[in-house]
Amino acid sequence: MSTMSNKRFEICSDREFEVGERRIVDLDGFSVGVFNLDGEYYALKNDCPHQRAPLCEGKLGGTTESDTPGEFDWVKPGQVVRCPWHGWEFDVKTGESAFNPHKVKAKTFEARVEPAQAKEESTEEGCEGCGVSLEGEEPPVDTYEVDVEQGTVVVYL
Amino acid sequence: MDNRLSLAEKSLFIVGYIGLLGFMSQQAQGQDSDVPSEAGLSLVDADIHQRWADDQAIIKYLPDRYKDDGLVLPELLYRNPGEFLRQDEVTETGDKPGTDLEKIADEHLDEFDIDYAMLTGNSWFNLAALPNRDYAHELARAFNEWLVNDVLPVDDRFLGSLYVAPKAPEKAADLIREYGDHPQVRQVLLPGGAEVPYGRSQYWPMYEAAEEKNLAMAVHPFSEGHGTSNPPTGAGHPNNYIEWHTLLGGYYMGQLASIVTEGVFVEYPDLRWAFIEGGYGWLPHFMWRLDKNWKGLRSQVPWLEEKPSHYIRNNVWFASQPVEEPEEPEHHDYILEMMHADEMLIYASDYPHWDGDDPEWGLPPMDDEMKKAIRHENAAELWDLPTDGSGLE
Repeated sequence: MSTMSNKRFEICSDREFEVGERRIVDLDGFSVGVFNLDGEYYALKNDCPHQRAPLCEGKLGGTTESDTPGEFDWVKPGQVVRCPWHGWEFDVKTGESAFNPHKVKAKTFEARVEPAQAKEESTEEGCEGCGVSLEGEEPPVDTYEVDVEQGTVVVYL
Repeated sequence: MDNRLSLAEKSLFIVGYIGLLGFMSQQAQGQDSDVPSEAGLSLVDADIHQRWADDQAIIKYLPDRYKDDGLVLPELLYRNPGEFLRQDEVTETGDKPGTDLEKIADEHLDEFDIDYAMLTGNSWFNLAALPNRDYAHELARAFNEWLVNDVLPVDDRFLGSLYVAPKAPEKAADLIREYGDHPQVRQVLLPGGAEVPYGRSQYWPMYEAAEEKNLAMAVHPFSEGHGTSNPPTGAGHPNNYIEWHTLLGGYYMGQLASIVTEGVFVEYPDLRWAFIEGGYGWLPHFMWRLDKNWKGLRSQVPWLEEKPSHYIRNNVWFASQPVEEPEEPEHHDYILEMMHADEMLIYASDYPHWDGDDPEWGLPPMDDEMKKAIRHENAAELWDLPTDGSGLE
């Protein structure tokens, strides 16, 4: 999703940001959750499309999948955030909703650790900060790109 | 409406209709909030859960014979994978949401311009599900001591719900008379789940005392299917919390049918009753069916002087949370119209529980008259709240 107009935000040193940890940061007025899942960084808009709750502050864990009534598997451990209001589940990596991936999707942002170097491109379109969601091809709740640049975790909005 | 909102609205229309409802609701509220209501009230919240951080807060008020026991109450055995309390509201000291009373006042009441908030306490305190009547009664008394000594003085917008043990109704009536004169105490809260339905005459001493003290009676979900209570659904004990939570309305239908048909509101015509957190979308069906059946089965309940729905519309109120989310947003208006929500529905946030409805985003859009009724007018009637800013007496 990285484009030339993304705005760059330094979060912290990657040594201070441990596996399994998450941080809620304010980036130019956007509340964003940055997650370290197994050494890979992900960023998700901290705004649930349901009632505007701080989505990223909810419980982080796995979820279930089943193809037979009464039988199920525990999947995506540590990768699913549950909104603290009403429990809607979103995949931190994709922003997709567990119950309706085609219609409800959390906004994720690019998050990575990379050498310091300005990146510019925006994945935001319209509706700045309104935290609403889109159906279909576009992610209703944004994910953002995260890099690690010379040991610094950087998020691009 | 500026361009940003228009864009938001378009996006919202495609998905997350409840987000749309909330968004439109907020826009409309924005217009409303500039116009003081005739009542002088902005918003009354019918359901906020305060709790203690340390059990000693309650144990210290228990009689000596129970101090060593501490708090032993049946717990809900159904689990919620996302937790029952809002994880974004854990206090700065790491305590459970709802333990910091100043935080409730500062971050919920101030934030959303709430004039009065009905505190409904800790709904893990399953008094109706305890087998021992005396212990349950003393726990209720200890809770009420905590309420009037340690909770209500924190903020004069707090309204208090007394707890009573439904299995000890005579003693419960004494508690209601003992604590019922406190100006902030406006309600007596019964657990939704109990051993026998709430219309039975064994409970009537409580209702007599509540009417005498001008307090509302209320039910809120707790004790359903725990301990000595009945199964949480008519069909029995379900497999998961999704069934337990969805069917609270079914349990409430049982309580409401009992209260109305046994003649509680004939005996106590001034008694007001709140049904909190059991939903309201079922009310049109329920009232229609009850009235239809009354036409042929009236001889079983000859003490009813009016059709059953008359008593519901006159004596019973319903809290909005969890708000109904129909497939088409406009269908919510039909529900409101069919149930006579302008007479009976009151806003509730259920803060800080997981399934709460945000004061700004939780209520769907509706016309201004309906919104005023739900935001404060019906609550003022239910709890006899001053509407001229004169304060509680």
